Amino acid sequence: MAKNDIISAENNITVSDFKKTFWRSFTILGTYNYERMEALGFNYSIFPELEKIYKDDPEGLAQALARHMEVFNMTVAPSPFVMGIAIAMEEQYKRDPENFDVSSINAVKMSLMGPLSGIGDTFFWGIFRILAAAIGCSFASQGNLIAPFIFLILFNVPQFICRWYCLKIGYKNGNDFLVKMQQGGQMNLFTYCSGIVGVIAVACMIATQISLHCPLEFTISGTTIVLQEYIDQILPCLLPLTATLIVYYFLKKKTKVSHIMAGLIILGFICGVLGILG
Amino acid sequence: MEITVLQALLIGVVAAFTCIEGDFMGECKLREPLVTGFLVGLILGDPVKGTIIGGQLQLIWMGATGIGLSAQLDIGCGGTIGTAFAIMTGSGAEVAVALGLPVSILMQSLNVLKMTALSGLMHKADSLALKGDMKGMARLHWMGFVIDLLEYTIPVFICVYFGASAVEQLVNGLPQWVLNGLGAVSALLPALGFAMLLQILITPKLIPYFVLGFAIAAYTGLNMLCITLIAVAIALVMYQLLSKQQTTVQTVDDEEDL
Repeated sequence: MAKNDIISAENNITVSDFKKTFWRSFTILGTYNYERMEALGFNYSIFPELEKIYKDDPEGLAQALARHMEVFNMTVAPSPFVMGIAIAMEEQYKRDPENFDVSSINAVKMSLMGPLSGIGDTFFWGIFRILAAAIGCSFASQGNLIAPFIFLILFNVPQFICRWYCLKIGYKNGNDFLVKMQQGGQMNLFTYCSGIVGVIAVACMIATQISLHCPLEFTISGTTIVLQEYIDQILPCLLPLTATLIVYYFLKKKTKVSHIMAGLIILGFICGVLGILG
Repeated sequence: MEITVLQALLIGVVAAFTCIEGDFMGECKLREPLVTGFLVGLILGDPVKGTIIGGQLQLIWMGATGIGLSAQLDIGCGGTIGTAFAIMTGSGAEVAVALGLPVSILMQSLNVLKMTALSGLMHKADSLALKGDMKGMARLHWMGFVIDLLEYTIPVFICVYFGASAVEQLVNGLPQWVLNGLGAVSALLPALGFAMLLQILITPKLIPYFVLGFAIAAYTGLNMLCITLIAVAIALVMYQLLSKQQTTVQTVDDEEDL
């Protein structure tokens, strides 16, 4: 085996183990449940490394497996970061079981769930998914069969890259990395600047992708007045913008999404039947 | 349109993969209507129509994400069945929404049951862990795959294969005013999606960019890709400006420390 394939010499953890964890991390939601959430999936993902770390210590292995059955839940894409940290900490514990507080492994995992999920949601659900879908949809509207492939590639390439580097960085630098990013304000700045792209994209989609318009027409002394033309003179795409902002207002007020949806369906249906909206 | 057993079964499998992609394929987004629309279209022999309907559904359900436990709609399964019925009845996205919505609510309730039931399995996993039985734990984990496959394939197959003619009669019998109503609903629903996305993304400091993006799109008619590139350029400039500012601030701080 080439020398640079070895990630951890003391436990003989290799790149191929990390590759296994990388692929296994995709299954993290496999047995998602209300009690432990992603615990079994997390556990399964780091089996290859645990097996090597506790090669001669079946009792230690059993305890490690039990340890990682604790609740775990976060946005899936950056989850390998936490796996990397957990592997590094397990190694540390194996090295020095006397002085290493074993409960810190789960404590660190817990402490990362919230912040990393926040970042992950923003990037993968908020930004990559929208951009990929927006570009995909513009192909789809022309009936171009490339649409689903463009969408999948645009979304998944960042996700694959993120998973692999999260795993490596998590293992090597672990907590230091996050602390540094937070302290220097780099993370906030990065999130803010990505937010610029996300917000502009959403604004653009509100204007171009919501087809809401007003089909009302009046005939006054022989001339047909199309109401939508007047609305367009005030502000193009006024109706889509207004509708979105009203819904946003209710979301801010913590109205249940299902209630908002029911409201939209009822309101939309009535307005559609009456010919006010279309 | 007649549907064969094989076609109905394949649509069931597509529906199953909208769940499996999330559980075992790292949320790679096979579940999005854009993708399922294409696949269902392919199975039913009209991929172009499937992709077009899928694209429309995608916009309508853009915000219906599965974030945390707030997921209320199984858009994957709803989109699959909705598109299938829309193609079979020769109608459009409004019908796909109208038929897909109840399915997505129903499937989400089934998922709630599944996630509750899987909690029970975790105790089995605990005892396997204490024995150090990794193989057993892995088997348990992959049982989730089989459960997903059956949970979706069977009901969707039954629904598509046996429901097709009933749905066709229903849809073809719909009067124009109902179609108008459904059309307005599907024009209005995307507002929910985009509002939910805004909720994730927006902070007070980002409001000017929202205004900018809206103005460019509403007045210039530039396409999405072009506006996105402009946005990327602005973000890069802001990053450079602000990170410079930050280093200056930091140097000042450091000097004060001295």
